[in-house]
Amino acid sequence: MAMSTEHSKIIVENLKYKYLATDFLALDGISFSVEQGEFIGIIGKNESGKSTLCQAIAGLVPNFHKGAYGGRILIDGLEVKNVELSELCKKVGIVFQNPFNQVTGSKLTVYEEIAFGLENTGIEKQEMIRRIDDAMELLDIAKYKDRNPFDLSGGQMQRMAIASIIAMQPEVIVLDEPTSQLDPQGREEVYQAVQKLSKKGITIFMVEHNMEKIASYSDRVLLLDGGRLIDFDTPQRIFSREDLDTYGVEVPAFTRICKELNLKNPGTGCYPVTLEEAYDLLSKEKREM
Amino acid sequence: MSKNGKSLWSMKFNTATLVLIPAAIGINYLGKLFAGALKLPLWLDSIGTCLAAMLAGPIAGAICGAANNIIYGLTMDPISTVYALTNIAIGLAVGILSYKGFMKNIKLSLLTAIIVGFVAVVVSTPLNVIFWGGTTGNIWGDAVYAWALAQNMPVFLASFLDEVIVDLPDKIAVILIVFGIGKGLPKSLIALYQSGDTIESLDD
Amino acid sequence: MKSISLYEEKGSLLNKLAPESKILYIIIALLLPVIMGSRWVSIGFIAVSFFLLLISKVLRKTVPILSISGFVLLTVVIIQGIFRAGNVTPVFAVGPVSFYKEGLMFAFEIVVNVLNILLSFCVLILTAKPSDIVENFVRKGFSPRFGYVFISVFQIVPQMTETMSTITDAQRSRGMETEGNLLVRIKAFGPLISPVVMSSLINTRERALALEVRGFNARNKKTFLNDEKKCGADKYIQLGMLAMLIAGIVWRVAGWR
Repeated sequence: MAMSTEHSKIIVENLKYKYLATDFLALDGISFSVEQGEFIGIIGKNESGKSTLCQAIAGLVPNFHKGAYGGRILIDGLEVKNVELSELCKKVGIVFQNPFNQVTGSKLTVYEEIAFGLENTGIEKQEMIRRIDDAMELLDIAKYKDRNPFDLSGGQMQRMAIASIIAMQPEVIVLDEPTSQLDPQGREEVYQAVQKLSKKGITIFMVEHNMEKIASYSDRVLLLDGGRLIDFDTPQRIFSREDLDTYGVEVPAFTRICKELNLKNPGTGCYPVTLEEAYDLLSKEKREM
Repeated sequence: MSKNGKSLWSMKFNTATLVLIPAAIGINYLGKLFAGALKLPLWLDSIGTCLAAMLAGPIAGAICGAANNIIYGLTMDPISTVYALTNIAIGLAVGILSYKGFMKNIKLSLLTAIIVGFVAVVVSTPLNVIFWGGTTGNIWGDAVYAWALAQNMPVFLASFLDEVIVDLPDKIAVILIVFGIGKGLPKSLIALYQSGDTIESLDD
Repeated sequence: MKSISLYEEKGSLLNKLAPESKILYIIIALLLPVIMGSRWVSIGFIAVSFFLLLISKVLRKTVPILSISGFVLLTVVIIQGIFRAGNVTPVFAVGPVSFYKEGLMFAFEIVVNVLNILLSFCVLILTAKPSDIVENFVRKGFSPRFGYVFISVFQIVPQMTETMSTITDAQRSRGMETEGNLLVRIKAFGPLISPVVMSSLINTRERALALEVRGFNARNKKTFLNDEKKCGADKYIQLGMLAMLIAGIVWRVAGWR
């Protein structure tokens, strides 16, 4: 997939947002910036603003939800608030929790379902077919192409939703708890799909409760609380923080073990966050003993 | 339920409202199925249309009513397509009344129900006369029709009475159900269908 | 998933025709009898529809459609046959009740009219895929957003019926009574329907979001994955039907009756 790599940098400046009919800021002065191709994990407790931030990156906040908005998000120099959703969707794609509600309900087969966004944005038929085939290949759903979208399992449906977004060839994909409503098998299917996307050089934002996955996939992690940005750093630094309990974040199992053993990576001064890291560190320690 | 800067007769529907219409048609259909399954002597097949009208206004309600019967006509009963007119009228009536605050409490809702019931009767009666000679196919209603004809009443009056017997209790039940559902809906959802185009600024 | 559409692909001639041709057929089947003022025209169209449905191998599928209206038609015949004002000529009697010629003739006209409507609609709905009908309209300039509304109903209704059967089972197993006297049954209605209604309304928010991010409101010209449903004969068939319509109007205006 061809992608412009030069300017696709995402800059968020003092972002504030309040939903209609509410009286508190769901996002409160958030600023950060992200390079093209980075994998960003978003963590924090419920109502900390994770979903709102996701929807802000995709432009749904404020252009769908209205409400009150301040600050700005720039993607490739484009100010998200000023771009129509039907234009922005060519640059930024978003996948939601519930796979079922993402099915358009107007198409009879998986193949046609993936075509929906392409038909709307006026992609020529030949190009459309090429992109759908590619997307189905990548998400490993080609075998369901003639099935009715509603007859798929949750995991298959969610992969179809991701394929529908991928086919539009966005530079940025936002995944808002894509696995939270799936069974373990469906989750694994989606994790593998997400890894493939990341390898393709697409910038990814993912909200996810499984901290092991966040730790192993993310280049950097955004920690939110009460609509504010608490920290934005590598998974090692984030998960080595001592105050994670207050933010309702559960530390990955390996980090917890290494904390108990007081085993830090001497290079970074942080606890390891993945099995591999912990293993490396332990074996090194053994050799030194 | 109203306001938020959107005009009552606006034809500009946001996506949420467009998605509401098929859901409302599904609700109509379910109402009919449940009423059938419970062997209730009512149709209860306009709950969705009335909900859509209450939430998104008279035009959305009317479109919902029209689409409902066109689709019903295309799948089960072609004749019901002409009764799209009745459902358009119901959608308009509920939409306007609810905008004027007539769905605020249970007493006003009851009044809405009676008005809507009569609107439905007034539109349906000529259709019944044109297509069926005045009957409705409902046993109780048709018994009244037969009685009225036997009393030498004109066909129109007999058909009107037939339809009143059938429609009025049905619409009262439907509107009260819609009132109950409306009370239970989250505010943010209601705002979704009625939001205008304005985004407030939080910049200093 | 069970579809609510009665359409079936049988590779027949009618399957191949554009939906517009069949819609035009409905229009002339309903208009010509009015324009020409003769019930024989309706009877003629009933025969034509019957023949078309027969060669398309879908005649059996008309049975459920006809049976819905069949019951109402029966009441029409009974009520008009007995009670219609102007009934003077008894034809036959069932016990103490006499049926009259005038009422029966009136009922016969209603039956002919209803049958014509039903069968001509069947020509369309049993042989055309709903999404093809809507898509062809969108190609001709109908709003794609409203096109979506129509097509999605065909998917969403079966979806909701499935949810409904789950709920009915759940409520029954919780001991809710769905049988018994009228009051018990009326009371059962609310708890049965409100969960589905609530969830389907709440789902509209997420579905709207999902549509928005897939270019639902794009202003550019839409493209189509599927080719337009039509065949070579469509043009001639449509022209032929228009010619019939005009001939009928001329016939009436010229007063050749």
